[in-house]
Amino acid sequence: MHFLAISLRKDWARLARDPSQFAIALGIPLVLAVLMSLVFGRAPAVPQGRLLVADEDNSIASTRFLDGFRSDALRKMIVIEKVTRDAGRARIDRGDASAFLLIRKGLQQAFLMNQPYRLELYTNPEQSILPQIIQQTLSIAVDAASYFRSGGQPLIEVENVALGEAKPARSFSAVFLPSSLFMGLLFLASGTAGDIWKERTAGTLRRMASSPISMTAYLMARIAFVILLYLVVGSAGLFAAQRMAGLPVANLPGAALWIAFSGTMFYLLFLWTSVQATTQRAANVLTNLIIFPLAMLGGCFFPFEWMPRWMVSIGELTPNGWALTQFKAILDGAVHIAPLARSAALMTAFGAVAFVLILRRVRAFAV
Amino acid sequence: MIEVDHLRKSYGELTAVNDVSFTAHPGEIFGLLGPNGAGKTTTIGCISGLLTPTAGNVRIMGHDVVREGVAARRALGVVPQEISLYEELSALENLNYWGGTQGMRNPLLRERIQEVLTLTGLADRAREPVKQFSGGMRRRLNFACGIVHQPKVLLLDEPTVGVDPQSRVRLLDLVRAQAEAGACVLYTTHYMEEAENLCHRLAIVDHGKIIAAGTLTELRSLLAEHDLLRLSGVFPAGAAKAALASLHHIEILQSDENLLILSLPEASRRLPAIFAALTAAGAEVRGTNLTQPSLESLFIKLTGKELRE
Repeated sequence: MHFLAISLRKDWARLARDPSQFAIALGIPLVLAVLMSLVFGRAPAVPQGRLLVADEDNSIASTRFLDGFRSDALRKMIVIEKVTRDAGRARIDRGDASAFLLIRKGLQQAFLMNQPYRLELYTNPEQSILPQIIQQTLSIAVDAASYFRSGGQPLIEVENVALGEAKPARSFSAVFLPSSLFMGLLFLASGTAGDIWKERTAGTLRRMASSPISMTAYLMARIAFVILLYLVVGSAGLFAAQRMAGLPVANLPGAALWIAFSGTMFYLLFLWTSVQATTQRAANVLTNLIIFPLAMLGGCFFPFEWMPRWMVSIGELTPNGWALTQFKAILDGAVHIAPLARSAALMTAFGAVAFVLILRRVRAFAV
Repeated sequence: MIEVDHLRKSYGELTAVNDVSFTAHPGEIFGLLGPNGAGKTTTIGCISGLLTPTAGNVRIMGHDVVREGVAARRALGVVPQEISLYEELSALENLNYWGGTQGMRNPLLRERIQEVLTLTGLADRAREPVKQFSGGMRRRLNFACGIVHQPKVLLLDEPTVGVDPQSRVRLLDLVRAQAEAGACVLYTTHYMEEAENLCHRLAIVDHGKIIAAGTLTELRSLLAEHDLLRLSGVFPAGAAKAALASLHHIEILQSDENLLILSLPEASRRLPAIFAALTAAGAEVRGTNLTQPSLESLFIKLTGKELRE
């Protein structure tokens, strides 16, 4: 405990005296977040979506139903893509569009013969605005068709099939800030892990290795420091995000803890790569080779909400994508204990393996 | 006490330390003298537990450095060749931290820090960040961090490299003081004068092996009071050697077309005869350097090369 106390004091003092690395690590994502928030503001993001249409009727009537989406206002917002029924269902199940409209054969005949007919609209629960716009546009078209029919009875209906619970609309800042927080966390983790090269170059790691303190104790003390650091930085970032994006306050302590936990796992990943390298430059290159693809794919550079579904599927498998998904769930208050515990357990296991590998290497690395 | 027994350290094909054995006692300064790359730092690395020996044993105060690493390192103070300090921190913070890693606590640590700061002449700069220190001050602090916990065994790996003369004198005095206080000091250097002035016993190391060991007197006796004569100029191959062979008690240590190194008794008295013989053989002497028996001449005698090569 005595060593832990003096080690924490030493690391805080070093950080306070030379905060440049820390500032650079946080500066880039922070500037990006602030600039983008200023540009796009707190209003909900301008929606752009895709309506998949399986037109099995392929008639004049079915074409007229889609005319509403070809108005100037909607054309910019919603792209219509013709698909087959199976492809449409598969894609909407994957969340690869805002909605899927199935026009079964018989629409024109039903219209002409005054027979009941049902359009099937499948909406993406991960989007809120666009499916609503599509649904309303379609309802207007149906109402108009009913108006022209004898008696004006609404024999044509839209059956809306929501493939899950609709989520509330999120502002640009609310979408982007969690991603930028995790981007900052990735850079910070790489910066704090890279400090081991500074220690090696300064010779302090070598001196430590010839002291009675075990390398396990040394690494544990470093981990304790980064946990505290990420907790402080995460809390500050969340506070700023709350002010900018109105994130729910009640969820912030949990989110801060998750940031500290995830950041520590990223730290262990980057520490492991750092001690594998034979030079500091090689370590930097290796870390950058990992950090940029992770940030790009894992929803840190571009939020998952802006990425194609197939890319999201890949991104969610990355460690940061995985952690970010849980982080957003914590922020939204929609966290489920079982997946969270599973994620935490897997990340802890990953961290433990990384810790053992680092420990096996660090004494030789110190020399 | 340091006991090194048949120590060997290899890196693949390269053997950096080859069957090195010696014992250093409390109150003694034991020197490892050798050129750069001789294996001194590797030997220190094995003793301090940084490197695992390929073969052999090292014991510090009776504790094996591999099997009882923590116990062995508790008795150890290390002053590495490179400055090993946190530059962002002050001298006081560095001493506090490194003293703490050795298990020292206040108020004893505080007292000891004041003591070593005074000893090293850094008391009035104790609160300044190390990055503002001069090279000599950093060296002194590097030393202070190695002795703050009053180690029973002190390893000093070329602690005076790049140090100004004033700081060097101060550092050497501090090393002597440690030994006088009862510490067992292992001191590596490639400066012969330092080794001659400081060490009670010495081992001369080359290519990872101890080539001679003993007290200064014992080592000098190996030279049999022979002087070292270094001649530079133009020496026709074979002819110069043949000319010198006619003179008695001259040992040629090194010979090429531009340099001759000879070991001989009473060299100053015999210079005219040597010059005459060489001139007769067609040689031209342009420079002469005569050295009385020293560690350097011993090193040249034993290895055929100069210590600083």
